[in-house]
Amino acid sequence: MELFHNLVLGFGVALSPWNVLLCLIGALVGTLVGVLPGLGPLATIAMLLPITFGLPPVGALIMLAGIYYGAQYGGSTTSILVNIPGEASSVVTTLDGHQMARQGRAGPALAIAAIGSFFAGCVSTVVVAALAAPLTSIALLFGPAEYFSLMVLGLVFAVVLARGSVLKAVAMIIMGLLLSMVGSDIETGASRMAFDVTELSDGIGFVLVAMGVFGYAEIMRNLEQESARSVVHAKLTGLMPTWADLKASSGAILRGTGLGSILGILPGGGAVIAAFAAYTFEKKVAKDPHRFGRGAIEGVAAPESANNAAAQTSFIPLLTLGIPPNAVMALMVGAMMIHGIVPGPQVMTKQPELFWGMIASMWIGNLMLVIINLPMVGVWVRLLRVPYRMLFPAIIIFCAIGVYSINNSAFDIVMTGLFGMIGYWLVKHDFEPAPMLLGFVLGPMLEENLRRAMLIARGDPSTFVTRPISAGLIALAVLLLALAVLPMIRSRRDEVFVEPTS
Amino acid sequence: MSQEVQEADASAGAPQGSLKITNAREFYGGLALVLLGLLALWASRDLAGMHGIAFGPGTAPRMFASILIALGVAIMAVGCVTQGVPLERYEISSPTLIILSYMFASSSGTTALLLVAAVLLIGGIILGVVGMMGPRRALVRGPLFITLSIIVFAVTMRPLGLVLASYLSIVAAAAATPEARWIETLVWGAVLTAFCVLLFVYGLGLPFQLWPTTLSWETLLSLR
Repeated sequence: MELFHNLVLGFGVALSPWNVLLCLIGALVGTLVGVLPGLGPLATIAMLLPITFGLPPVGALIMLAGIYYGAQYGGSTTSILVNIPGEASSVVTTLDGHQMARQGRAGPALAIAAIGSFFAGCVSTVVVAALAAPLTSIALLFGPAEYFSLMVLGLVFAVVLARGSVLKAVAMIIMGLLLSMVGSDIETGASRMAFDVTELSDGIGFVLVAMGVFGYAEIMRNLEQESARSVVHAKLTGLMPTWADLKASSGAILRGTGLGSILGILPGGGAVIAAFAAYTFEKKVAKDPHRFGRGAIEGVAAPESANNAAAQTSFIPLLTLGIPPNAVMALMVGAMMIHGIVPGPQVMTKQPELFWGMIASMWIGNLMLVIINLPMVGVWVRLLRVPYRMLFPAIIIFCAIGVYSINNSAFDIVMTGLFGMIGYWLVKHDFEPAPMLLGFVLGPMLEENLRRAMLIARGDPSTFVTRPISAGLIALAVLLLALAVLPMIRSRRDEVFVEPTS
Repeated sequence: MSQEVQEADASAGAPQGSLKITNAREFYGGLALVLLGLLALWASRDLAGMHGIAFGPGTAPRMFASILIALGVAIMAVGCVTQGVPLERYEISSPTLIILSYMFASSSGTTALLLVAAVLLIGGIILGVVGMMGPRRALVRGPLFITLSIIVFAVTMRPLGLVLASYLSIVAAAAATPEARWIETLVWGAVLTAFCVLLFVYGLGLPFQLWPTTLSWETLLSLR
């Protein structure tokens, strides 16, 4: 059994003391940023990217992955106890989770969230392991034309699932693509749009864009809001859920896990969408939908399972096709590139220990999260009292030192500041920065495959619609875009993806 | 290329002739994208285009720049036909000028560019001071001091070393909120600096210089 053999290899890598430690650090840091509103996994991973330079690639990726799924756990804790979603993906958990806490059932709510997350984590680890091999073998059949079409499809998914205007989301992707072309041309080495600035001749660093747009810009936005946070002293009496609780939520956990796993794989998907979809679905299938919003345990179990499942299965397109389905995965691409790993199907065949080690570490990380999180609930809640005025200078200085450490370049720090300003401006004009980052990451691959495909087809652009797989992908992209423009679907979509105002 | 976005934004108050702008957020957002696209077209003007059936280095940039311009125009058009959500207020002209000034000063260093940098810097400082004294103070404060903190770190890191650069940068950043408490900031800055030194220099082994070159402990010890 090859899968079994691979998993043994993976666990062998993931269980080395050093990797277990990195996994633990990632999970803890993830929980921490999940708890703290105003600091999300995106900003954190961007901030920690330079730090991972010194680590071996497997360890670095294990730690960064831990931050992403750890944040899903942490976000639920504050949602339930203090009605503040620490993470966008935990917004729906506040609806029923906090109601349960107010009814004195905070313990069972937290326990169900953790159990659901752990179950989802286990299932999705298996899903990732099982789907990786077949998808990789499909990906190996892809030529440049198919890759180009697949990337277009991925970007279209990002547009469809983004909030607000389709036009503006497309514009953001194009802007990202354009920014990615600054620097030297891959084929001819010609300097493109670099304005004779030496620091730009290698292109704009990915870390700079990510840190500026998600780190600095976030801080500027947060500073505008009142930072007064009141911590409710929820009494924790008895963590253990009753038998009835477990019975009531088991179905919800299963459905949430299934839905989350599927939505995570789709490009443009991710933990946030999965949580919303799972909650809506649970409300639809419930015998008595009126219980929702009044402390229904299914309303905690389903979204918490779904966001964790999606956080993990979103690694599938990244690991098999080399295409990041969302902004966090785009950062993972950056992390892999930093270590000289080109994400794609060849990772699994050429570096099986990296691939399977990372998958195995996800299961270990989930186990650690359950064990450490429930006893540490009190600590996390106390952390909420750290005022933002002390938190944000720390983020700023970590970002500055981190950026400086990449090239010992002061110019890079200021460049990051410029991207912070751009990110802030974009948000003020209601442009979403996440599609821009996705476009920025995919830009070089997109252009290279476009050029190669055109060359192979002797300059005939119809190659994208005459090759069957490519044509199918393009057709799907066009269909999705058409659906997104239809007003009925749009208005419904807008009500689902409301930004948290934490 | 991103400079243009910011400049467009800085001049966002200019009257637009007979056009009736009903949705300023969309209109100026689109306008900035158009300007960015034009800048990209201008910047890639010398690059070779299609070479027979093969793409040249300039093909893709020009292609995407043109698409961006088209989208920008479309967004501007939306801004002229839809009823506007009021534009969320912001004021970033001063920090933007300061950042641009730094970039001009550190790029190729010709006299003309240095002159431009000086003008931008003076303009940025004036706008900053005026802004901090004016009614939009609350909007000016955050972005301005965060930018100053970043610039302070960039400028002082090499001559002063990590410890002083971090400390100054943290203190400057803390001023970005009116909630800042001075004694707390000074102490917290010291704690954070110590943490950064432990993490980056001792923990991760990054080869940073800790103290000013002429005052480093090594120099003092070797003098002895």
